[in-house]
Amino acid sequence: MKKKYLVLIGLLLGLAVVLGGCATGLTASSWPGVTADANNAYIAGGPYVFAVNLQTGVEVWRFPAKAANATPFYATPMLTPDGQLIVGSFDHKLYSLNPQSGAENWRFEQAKGRWIGGVLVTTDTIYATNADYNLYALSFTGKLKWISSFQADQAIWGSPVSDGTNVYFGTLGRQVYAVNAQTGRKVWIQTVDGAILGSPVLGPNNTLYVGTYSGLLVSLNTRNGEIIQKETASSWIWSGPAQDGTNVYVGDANGMFYAFPMTGAGQPWTQQLNGTIIGTPLVSGTTIVVGTESGKVYFMDNTGQNVRPVSVPGKIYATPVAAGALILVAPTGGDSLLVALDQTGATKWSFTGK
Amino acid sequence: MWETIIVNPFTNALLLIYKLIGGNFGIAIILFTILIRLITHPLMASQIKSSTKMTEFQQSKQWQDIQKKYKGDKEKLAQEQMNLYKELGISPFASCLPSIIQIPLIFGLYQSIMRALAATPGQLLILTRVVYPFFHLSALVPLNSQFLWMNLGQPERIYMFGVGVPLLAIIVAITTYVQSKVTMPASTNPNDQGAMMNKMMALYMPLLLGYFALTFASGLSIYFITGNLIGVAQYALLGKVNWRALIPGYKPDTTVLVRNK
Repeated sequence: MKKKYLVLIGLLLGLAVVLGGCATGLTASSWPGVTADANNAYIAGGPYVFAVNLQTGVEVWRFPAKAANATPFYATPMLTPDGQLIVGSFDHKLYSLNPQSGAENWRFEQAKGRWIGGVLVTTDTIYATNADYNLYALSFTGKLKWISSFQADQAIWGSPVSDGTNVYFGTLGRQVYAVNAQTGRKVWIQTVDGAILGSPVLGPNNTLYVGTYSGLLVSLNTRNGEIIQKETASSWIWSGPAQDGTNVYVGDANGMFYAFPMTGAGQPWTQQLNGTIIGTPLVSGTTIVVGTESGKVYFMDNTGQNVRPVSVPGKIYATPVAAGALILVAPTGGDSLLVALDQTGATKWSFTGK
Repeated sequence: MWETIIVNPFTNALLLIYKLIGGNFGIAIILFTILIRLITHPLMASQIKSSTKMTEFQQSKQWQDIQKKYKGDKEKLAQEQMNLYKELGISPFASCLPSIIQIPLIFGLYQSIMRALAATPGQLLILTRVVYPFFHLSALVPLNSQFLWMNLGQPERIYMFGVGVPLLAIIVAITTYVQSKVTMPASTNPNDQGAMMNKMMALYMPLLLGYFALTFASGLSIYFITGNLIGVAQYALLGKVNWRALIPGYKPDTTVLVRNK
């Protein structure tokens, strides 16, 4: 009987341990965010934010000194014009770091949700969307300028964009918001057919593009939120679209990659790639770079021709980033945290973060 | 394997209920718990039967005589106990089997709740992959995680004067204690190790589940509370609830036990 009792207590303790482990693992699920300046790449890669030398691929610094396993960093870091690196964490804090040393300048702690999308930096303001349904505007000293005068209907996972007059963002609740960039007041709100997981992108002629989880690329008029057009993809669209002034580019879950003309000048085209497309495509001059879940990085020109796949160990969920002549990709589940490719797709270096 | 057999079906069942009832995840968890309890009811009934048999066995004169006879010989006592179990058709583990079955269910449900609520991009990506094809997930996402005052994906607190009070954890602990007490088989034998174990469990389980409720997503607490209340109801339906066990200083009525024998 004592044995039975011990077995039962042991099982309950086991359950406590398993549930504890499960909780930690589940809350930490996302993929890295990357940015770069002339010297370093900065990667929010789970327990640390790393600075990596672009020439050598060697770690310059990491933040914090002790791994933040329970409160990881996945939001794309962003640089300010006055030399700060702004990065949000799953612990609800938004940090300003010194890009040279990794030293903390300040932290903003008023948000109540995770920082999933990167911030938008303008000449004098940091606009930050949080999973607590709010848009925050901060000065470069980390002081709150305003919180949006309303609460959005749902969590905001994508970064905001701005045309100088308004700030635009989409929510998981299928809404697109335009907010006055100076006051935080709502200008308009528009409902689309599916949750918006990525960031919107601004196009010419007062047009805003958003991709939806229901598989639509929706263009809206930035003046009044009116829907101009809907393009249908073959499956859900996770990433925000990208644009090069001629076409708007977006990928879907089936690996279908689309170019839709924004003006009369462009021609629509599609490319079937291998693997689900999660990250926003990178437009680098006349080259388009797309990462897929199958661990392929595709280079193609802006007409959809000359498609060159490059294999990288791991799954590519993060948006590729251009850093000078290098293309930076951050695989998930591979040996490397960051891989630098040249324009031919050859690996220049890889960084493990260990 | 675990995912395919437990977590994915649980997640899809939760989503199906959520869809059918018009988008209330709290109610979906309650209905799901009732469903699980209905499915495992035969096991529960078997547990109650075994517990009753075991209590009767502990009280029986035959067993007490054997205990006296082999007081100094533990090996022989254990052998005689097993022989008596066999003779009376008692399985010593039948009474704890349903409790053990609850463990994977709790674990699976916790994973399913967290997965279905998908509070991070990684969780949503996994959800997208595990949802059965007939679901139109994009029409469901994001799930409404609010239920009453709670965010079901987060541990629950009610803030009073700036202090977070874990009301749900307290309710979990109380309902677990009540369930343990009122469903505990009465025993008058001071050497009844089963009864001692039950008493220990009645103390430990509320603390343990209360700790879970304090630490983990409040959706799990909804499962615990619903499960406790249904558990009491199941015992009541079988006429095995002893409300007097809640009275401080309560001692089982030996005449009733004798009469039952």
